[in-house]
Amino acid sequence: MVKVLFFGRLGDFSENIELKVNCTEIEATPKKIRSLLSEDNVNLGKQLAAAQVLVAVNKVIVGWDYPINDGDELAFLPPVTGG
Amino acid sequence: MKSHIRVECENFDVGLEYQRLRLLCHQIGAVVTFTGLVRDFENSESQKVRSDSLSAMDLQHYPGMTEALMTNIAEEAAVRWSLLGVTIIHRVGKLSPNDQIVFVGVASEHRSEAFNAAEFLMDYLKLKATFWKRVMIGDQWHWVSPKSSDEDAMLKWGRH
Repeated sequence: MVKVLFFGRLGDFSENIELKVNCTEIEATPKKIRSLLSEDNVNLGKQLAAAQVLVAVNKVIVGWDYPINDGDELAFLPPVTGG
Repeated sequence: MKSHIRVECENFDVGLEYQRLRLLCHQIGAVVTFTGLVRDFENSESQKVRSDSLSAMDLQHYPGMTEALMTNIAEEAAVRWSLLGVTIIHRVGKLSPNDQIVFVGVASEHRSEAFNAAEFLMDYLKLKATFWKRVMIGDQWHWVSPKSSDEDAMLKWGRH
């Protein structure tokens, strides 16, 4: 199980979800999980593919090929606009 | 260096925050504070809209990650300048025009460190901390897009 969070405008396209995937079997990465999500939700997929979207695993920014393990928290982060 | 980091819905009192920094220790010779407000023009999507149509702002963040990033930002400033205290407060939730959003306060021995660090902290906060704003225009929420000027502002601080 991977907890998947969507922030900012990405939250308009999906609720936060608990994704049932066998991480070891599919060698899960943010890129692979993005593909899985895009199959089910084309509009979300388009948003996640935007160049400026970053990914965090367990609240740390990582690359799109970072290995994801069962129990991890994956977050998709659009460009930040605080301050 | 003492850092004080808060993310909260409640409003903050600039006077109290200034006193907290001022009273940290006797070596302090300068305190610089910055307060950011919900301002009268907001860049919504790609169009400029007038303030009188902006009725509300809503700020969301990533709990846990935001506080960690804000702590990193304060530590990064303390590496660059000799600082005695840093306070960063960022509000979340629903806000109205003219409300206070963000507070940065820096205490140091001399003024130049405090001025520079306060500006650096704000530039870094805008570009790195996990906050997302949306604004209510008419009866519609619009997510705010980042401004390229915020990215440009970071360039003067070198590698980040």
